[in-house]
Amino acid sequence: MKQSRIRFIAPLAVVTALVLVGCSTSNLGGSTDSDPTGAAETGPIKIGAVLDITGGGANLGVPQQNTLTMLAAALNENGGIDGREVELTIVDNQSTEDGAAKAATKLIESDDVDLILGASRTGPSLAMRSIAEAAEIPMISLAANAAIITDSKWVFKTPQNDVVVLETILDDAESKGYKKLALVRDASGFGEGVADYITDLGADRGITLEMTESFELTATDFTPQMTNVRASDADAVIIWGINPAAGLAQKAYGQLAVDKPVYQSHGVASPAFFEAAGDAADGVIIPNGRLLIASELDAADPQRKVIDAFEADYSAAYGTPASSFAGYAYDAWNIAVNALAEAGTDSEALRDAIEGTTDLVGVSGVYNMTADDHSGLDASSLILAEAQGGVWSLYKD
Amino acid sequence: MLTDFLQLTAAGLSQGSVYALLAVGLISVYTVRHVINIAQGDFAMMAGLGAVWLISAGMPLFVSIVAAVLTVTLVSVAIERLIIARVKKLTTLVSIILTLGVSTLLQAILLLVWGPEARGLPVFPGSDLTIAGVSIRAQELWMVGALVFVGGGIVFFYEKTRFGKALRACAEQPVAARIVGISPVMASVLAFAIAGFVGAIAGVVSSPIYLSIWSGGLLLGLKGFVAAVLGGFSSFRAAIVGALLLGVLESYVAGYVASGLRDAVAFFILILVLVIRTDGLVLKPTAVRV
Repeated sequence: MKQSRIRFIAPLAVVTALVLVGCSTSNLGGSTDSDPTGAAETGPIKIGAVLDITGGGANLGVPQQNTLTMLAAALNENGGIDGREVELTIVDNQSTEDGAAKAATKLIESDDVDLILGASRTGPSLAMRSIAEAAEIPMISLAANAAIITDSKWVFKTPQNDVVVLETILDDAESKGYKKLALVRDASGFGEGVADYITDLGADRGITLEMTESFELTATDFTPQMTNVRASDADAVIIWGINPAAGLAQKAYGQLAVDKPVYQSHGVASPAFFEAAGDAADGVIIPNGRLLIASELDAADPQRKVIDAFEADYSAAYGTPASSFAGYAYDAWNIAVNALAEAGTDSEALRDAIEGTTDLVGVSGVYNMTADDHSGLDASSLILAEAQGGVWSLYKD
Repeated sequence: MLTDFLQLTAAGLSQGSVYALLAVGLISVYTVRHVINIAQGDFAMMAGLGAVWLISAGMPLFVSIVAAVLTVTLVSVAIERLIIARVKKLTTLVSIILTLGVSTLLQAILLLVWGPEARGLPVFPGSDLTIAGVSIRAQELWMVGALVFVGGGIVFFYEKTRFGKALRACAEQPVAARIVGISPVMASVLAFAIAGFVGAIAGVVSSPIYLSIWSGGLLLGLKGFVAAVLGGFSSFRAAIVGALLLGVLESYVAGYVASGLRDAVAFFILILVLVIRTDGLVLKPTAVRV
């Protein structure tokens, strides 16, 4: 018996060890080329993209990969930039911070890219920021948290800042007389700092944050968090995350009959939200760019033409409608291409050209970059959309 | 307060039912072949994703589910015939390494075929209930029901029927079993068929709430593994109790402590069991582990 126990323990120990190894991917791999500034003004232009293609951010990274692939092919078909071909290298960071850091390092040191796009989410983008800053390579993130670009020299981003989004939510909450809010947020970088912003922004509007619950990116059961929200005396709830987690949170919210109005973030603006949330999505309000409700836009709206063209190209190529996340990639690509056409591949000149982006009409809004604002979008780029019957429509009070 | 407690308990029990089904699959293979099947959780994901795909191809919900479950059962048997049975000296240790490879292969196939995004089945028929302020989702009843009928049925088969007992005898005395007319090949195939079947059932009943994703199998399988360890890898009953306990504990930890610690619960329990009591929840550890 004694021996059989030992025989039994050994395999268990092996499994445990395997799991631990599986959880921490090794960080080896060095660089062979350490000449990041050797960008010649001839030959192909190299653009690297680091996206969350597998893992928890797949819902963002996949449409972005589609978008960039489509745009690069179209650009090269039309002769590239000033006759120079564009080489696009897309790397999957597996929705991890270390994956993003490794990918960015490899793109800069081995592939010698002139510019980096990505990552899809805040955490991986923050992991790449210091690498881009140190190597002095321009980077355009496709993620929301303002921390990605605060005081940055080389890093830009295309989605609306989370602060701007929260302001829009709190303005609406104030107009409806909500005094106490509950927050259920993503535990990764995207949700970082959101509670502080709500407390700060709420102070001017007589709104207090009652409670904060958090969830993991890959979470599937939200009963505990929603049970706590149900027991609170909040007037309304903000769920802050991306799909499918935020959609599943919404579903649990409906099933537990919490019965308070819900705001979600611009992180859920894709069809996957309805797939995960089902009927529980009805009545949810989100601030988002105009892509979501493009068909309701006035024909004279400057964004209408851009959005319609993008939608048509994307759905023709992939058979599904374009999400807002695809839109962030589209805008980042166009900002990059404009700057490359203007300044070429010299890092310093390219950076200045990106920072000088003005009145660029994109899918997510009209971009005006400045030295102080590397996101280029203000609250005017946002509308409030309401979910009803599996589609988003312009919210009217 | 009490409502919250009961709410968390209800959610934990339904989640625990899924772990229990996987534990039943793991033990059913272990008792017959002394193989620890790391790919058990991948059966669940494969069934979930397969059923979602069939529905998107226009098949009705239950036809899709039946087709997906049967296919996964066959896949499990194929893995036994083509991979497991080919190994000459199959120790438990080798089986772990082997099935880890199988698991990685299955995940790669799922990723290639159905892509990186999580997908969920539509909810099964039934209406959600609210009892004394505690909301119980119809899907959660399906999950518990699957454990009671499918899991219970398999436990009954192994513990109460002659044929089931004969299967387990193969592991202990393969030669003697063959002498009295039990085919070890048949026994092994059947054990893997059962493992594939319960894994697939766990996958389809949980998919509407917890979604199916190519990479989700390993963690899910490990939760089932921890439950099986609680059952000493021999007692179905102790493993089922352990699985439900694990589900409920996870739910309490997420609700009262921090949701980020949820997945740590299983591994904490695993370490405790390994250090303190390798027989887990089995009350009579002197019983022969066949």
